[in-house]
Amino acid sequence: MADSTSTCSLVVIILDTNPAWWGRQSNHGNPKLSLSKCVDSLMTFANSHLMMNHLNKIAFIAAHSNFSHFMYPKRQQREVTDIDTNIGEINDGKYELFDRMNNQIKDEIKSLVLKNMEVEFENDSLIAGALSMALCYIHRMEKEKPIGVKMTSRVLVVKASEDNPAQYMNLMNTVFTAQKQNVVIDACILDNDSGLLQQACDITGGVYLKIPQPQGMLQYLLWVYLPDPSTREQLTLPARVQVDYRAACFCHRNLIDIGYVCSVCLSIFCSFSPICSTCQTTFKIIAPPKLTKKKSKKPTT
Amino acid sequence: MADDDDKGYRWETEYEKTWEVLQEDAEGSLQTSIDDMLHKAKRRKLLEKITNVRLGMMRHLFIIIDMSVSMGDQDLKPTRLICSLKLLESFIEEYFDQNPISQLGIIVTKNKRAEKITELGGNPRRHISALQKLKERACQGEPSLQNSLELALQTLRHMPSHASREILTIYGSLTTCDPGDIVETLKILKDAHVRCSMVGLAAEVRICKKICSDTHGKYTVILDESHFKDLLNQHTSPPPAMMNTESSLIRMGFPHQNLGGDRTGHKPSMCMCHLDSKTVEGFSTTGYFCPQCKSKYCELPVECKSCGLTLVSAPHLARSYHHLFPLDQSKEVPITDFDPGQHIFCSACQIEIQEQSVYQCKKCKCIYCIDCDIFIHETLHSCPGCSSSRQTQTAEAVFV
Repeated sequence: MADSTSTCSLVVIILDTNPAWWGRQSNHGNPKLSLSKCVDSLMTFANSHLMMNHLNKIAFIAAHSNFSHFMYPKRQQREVTDIDTNIGEINDGKYELFDRMNNQIKDEIKSLVLKNMEVEFENDSLIAGALSMALCYIHRMEKEKPIGVKMTSRVLVVKASEDNPAQYMNLMNTVFTAQKQNVVIDACILDNDSGLLQQACDITGGVYLKIPQPQGMLQYLLWVYLPDPSTREQLTLPARVQVDYRAACFCHRNLIDIGYVCSVCLSIFCSFSPICSTCQTTFKIIAPPKLTKKKSKKPTT
Repeated sequence: MADDDDKGYRWETEYEKTWEVLQEDAEGSLQTSIDDMLHKAKRRKLLEKITNVRLGMMRHLFIIIDMSVSMGDQDLKPTRLICSLKLLESFIEEYFDQNPISQLGIIVTKNKRAEKITELGGNPRRHISALQKLKERACQGEPSLQNSLELALQTLRHMPSHASREILTIYGSLTTCDPGDIVETLKILKDAHVRCSMVGLAAEVRICKKICSDTHGKYTVILDESHFKDLLNQHTSPPPAMMNTESSLIRMGFPHQNLGGDRTGHKPSMCMCHLDSKTVEGFSTTGYFCPQCKSKYCELPVECKSCGLTLVSAPHLARSYHHLFPLDQSKEVPITDFDPGQHIFCSACQIEIQEQSVYQCKKCKCIYCIDCDIFIHETLHSCPGCSSSRQTQTAEAVFV
């Protein structure tokens, strides 16, 4: 009976582990939210998700300041690896899947923080790489799922640092792919509002929320992001944000209402110029449409 | 085109011994050579892509559908017409996905006449619902190629010179019933720089081939339904621009979206797209407002009805950037280049790679399995490795 209708849901969590932002947080003296607390909340969220249905799956990717790291599930080798390496730890009756996942994520975060001390830190994180990794993983899981099981996938991005404007194209490509694959992108923003993720959530139908009180992160995760998109319709969630879809011109990076678009490379400019600076095309100067109208009027007068 | 004609007909060439390609391996199994062929078939699609060509990004395409008696044939299931309409539905969706600021129109031909079903427009839903209505109509009489080409030409002729003008014909009949000399029409088509492509459902027809080759289009004849689908999909990516396509800067508007709500204080109003309909649809506080004349629309992209400005949103333009900034082909590395005991994992999906070769991005040196490599190049258009590093994340534009 269950076989024909069984559904499962895969959630890929992308955590922005930008060392600059998290470091600054802990230096405040009275941190609103520390990395360890944030990871704790995310693990509770992951456990709750796994508890909803025994077929549910979780994946965890860290978007670091200069690379993305896949943290869970670990790469599986075909030969049997002894999972019980940490058998010495007291197993206090915790579900072993939770235990394994939580320990692994903890270990990976620890090594991620410790290993990358010497690198120069940037203020922004490269989310697009982690997102495209997530989509590749979802693509693989779609193929590997058991026959007869319907899988819905979504991505939860937990982000604190700033946007990197150079990511626009890469991020847009992943967003359109997500839209095509029916993957919902949710964003949980801890600090800086992200214009890029606002568009991503709006296009894929996900929730974008800047958390008013980072201390209560777990509560937001469980209330807003845990229900799957079909259940969300019945809930009263925070209102959608107004998304600014205006384009930025390539020449000055200004947001514009009316602009000129090159017919060859679709670059956007805020004023008319005879040569496209992106593709070096020379444009034929077309008389403005008003002029041609006047001409057509002349014979009648 | 000349060497295409030189090849002659298929039945004149030597017999192809397709079974000789299959080679038994050491254990006498055919599996390895089958795997190899599957693998090559997967790769072929990617290698076919041409880069470094200027593309006609703004396409104006008319689809001509034959609705003559021959479309009632049942060699495609359930009938040629139903099958074509079903495939065209997915074609239209894919077309607008790949060419977001392009337009499309549908013409049918039957009873020696041509009839325009939808005008050129940028709304996929309108075309798809028109296609669905066509299913109920009967296939009648003979088609007229000339009438339908001329009907398409009437509209295409007035399209701006920077746009690429195209006609795609789905033709089931082997004959055409025309009022005049079709060669004359062909000349006009050539002068107007309209690219005609055709998909034949029955057999190769001389006049169709001539029209397509003279206008730099593609003429193909289907083998079966899946081949039909492949052939249609070839027409979804933008074609190389014609030599004489002019380039120009087009004025476009990027409207504000208004989500409504109580705080904004906007009063509900009628949108311009549903102005003619008698229903309440389109009467709301939400919508997009033209930055020039403040008319309201419920959907983008659209050409403003009152001031003629093309209204798009920035993501619409971004959707087609992957044609202009294509990903480089990855390098195929045989698995024997790695240490034998080493486990190789795909850097994107984390799977352990079992195949004989892996694919390496030339820029970020990440290793991918074949499935991810195809997914990255065909759908994602951005390399996960490159986009997670500061040095490699930006692509360079490719233009000639």
